[in-house]
Amino acid sequence: MGKGIKPFEFKECVIVPKSTGKKARNLRELRSLLGRVTDESISHHTYQYFLSGHVLEYTNAFAHWVGESLGEKGLSEHLSNIDPYSFSEIELLRNELLKAVDSRLEAPPRPRDAAPGDEFFFSESITLTFPVRVRAMNLAEFLMAVRYVDRSSIYYHFYEARTRLEGGADDFSKWISGSLGQKDLGGKIKSIDPFMHTLEGIREHILEAVEEQVRKQMEELS
Amino acid sequence: MITGYAGISPKGDLLLLQRLGERLAGKSFLHVNSTRLGGGVAEILQRMVPILKDLGIEARWEIIEGDQKFFDITKKIHNALQGDQVEITREMWEYHHEVNKKNARKLNLDADAVLIHDPQPVALVEFRREGRWIWRCHIDLSNPAVGVARFIKRYCRRYDAAIFSVAKFVMPMAIDQFIIQPSIDPLSEKNREVTKEEIQETAGRLQIPRDRPLLLQVSRYDRFKDPIGVIKAYRMVKKYNDCILVLAGSPATDDPEGEVVLTAVTEFAADDPDIHVLLLPPNSDRDINVLQRMATVILQKSFKEGFGLTVSEGMWKGKPVIGGAAGGIPVQIVNGVNGFLVHSVEGAAFRMRQLLNNPEMAHEMGERGRDHVRTNFLITRQIRDYLSVWYSLEKGGRGILEP
Repeated sequence: MGKGIKPFEFKECVIVPKSTGKKARNLRELRSLLGRVTDESISHHTYQYFLSGHVLEYTNAFAHWVGESLGEKGLSEHLSNIDPYSFSEIELLRNELLKAVDSRLEAPPRPRDAAPGDEFFFSESITLTFPVRVRAMNLAEFLMAVRYVDRSSIYYHFYEARTRLEGGADDFSKWISGSLGQKDLGGKIKSIDPFMHTLEGIREHILEAVEEQVRKQMEELS
Repeated sequence: MITGYAGISPKGDLLLLQRLGERLAGKSFLHVNSTRLGGGVAEILQRMVPILKDLGIEARWEIIEGDQKFFDITKKIHNALQGDQVEITREMWEYHHEVNKKNARKLNLDADAVLIHDPQPVALVEFRREGRWIWRCHIDLSNPAVGVARFIKRYCRRYDAAIFSVAKFVMPMAIDQFIIQPSIDPLSEKNREVTKEEIQETAGRLQIPRDRPLLLQVSRYDRFKDPIGVIKAYRMVKKYNDCILVLAGSPATDDPEGEVVLTAVTEFAADDPDIHVLLLPPNSDRDINVLQRMATVILQKSFKEGFGLTVSEGMWKGKPVIGGAAGGIPVQIVNGVNGFLVHSVEGAAFRMRQLLNNPEMAHEMGERGRDHVRTNFLITRQIRDYLSVWYSLEKGGRGILEP
């Protein structure tokens, strides 16, 4: 690792939810509000859902509510299968969510209402981003840092980055491929499925891949 | 002071606190509520104000004063806001306003940010002069009595923002409404680490045997906390697993029903030597801490609940918690992951048996619960969020903290 390598600066983001005051008691109300709420609200319930450490099988808050509170397993599977990072604009993601809900509403039986207190509450959020005073100059330092940074740092660099960077990349793979020139390892990290793991699971997969590479480098003769 | 939380709270929370502290240093932050002792708000303010000062913020905490008539009215307002059909007459509101006006004359309300806690001092906003004013509502306003909601909304229009504990507690209003969950302090007497000697001493003094699994519910003797249901569930469990039940609560002077419920619970427990109904004196924080650490399974089987921070307290001690799906309990318990949400006596009994028969599962759930609390329900996160809201209001409602 020579001069001129841009260090990896770890950052973190914190989200404080803000209520929109709007709630849906059933699928029809969800449909109606999905079409009207702000882009920030759609973003909060989809992209930022990953920060909650999605421990269940859902990949966004709409799928979670539909599955857990309405018992609409088929629709929740459909919604969970929507990849929010595949849309260039929130409006397109919104349309995809609406399409899924519409297809369920067109078919019998009539969906049930959620129990009182278990409605879907639309929120937005304020987000504060800040550096965590941890930087890595090489792969070994990166390995140690990834092991100990907070989960929200993993979120910021692995999930939130996808809304900032082109081509569905994350900060980790971009730095490893670009600044360190280790394209294979970068590719390996980029290929970790963001929807199939919790934040701790993502951390483990990154550690595994980086550790293997560090070990290889340590064993090299020159 | 903030350094005392290093290694306990997430590092990011502490870093952000320092950073926000730098931005807001020298500014004044006033909290106003109606009591310095007793209740969750006072408990958290006692810990929060010194931390804010340590961050360089000029934090103050003022109390409004009122007579018995005033507090009788505010109790009624509190109940009406939670949905009870209690009539609050125009005269009552006028008296409420009058007492707030007297307090406004006496108190120094000038600050860069003013956080008014709950309905008792809500009308102080009529006398605001400077700074950002935020109403911090700790109660559930999702289903208020109509008349009382109208009055509260009228006051809320004068605030810059409101803060609620859970999204479902929010009452639609035309100001920004943030969601900030309450918290526990890991360094307080109720949550700090305890020694083996302390556990032995408390167990001996309270005469709690340590030879069998212990089921515990810590709560006021209140029918909404369902202590009788807990005993029924324990009896179902007892057929299969030998265990001990401890119900621990302190007398609440503002709750005349407490004594009636305690008598009913004692009678229902009858002469079962394995049921321990404890009436602990106020400020028994250390005993509660020890009991939670002695427990095998912790219950909070409420029908109706505010936020239910005893759930987080139990989880912080690494215990699996079984809670009623009420109030803020479902925010704390992720069902089947770090505890169980139940809807009946039978459900509570079944989950207790499951945990008693699967110590490994109980241990894992407890670990996940502690981690969940560390990330979401520690005081450092709550202060972080308060300062984030204040900072964002200063920035025109946006987040973003420059690098």
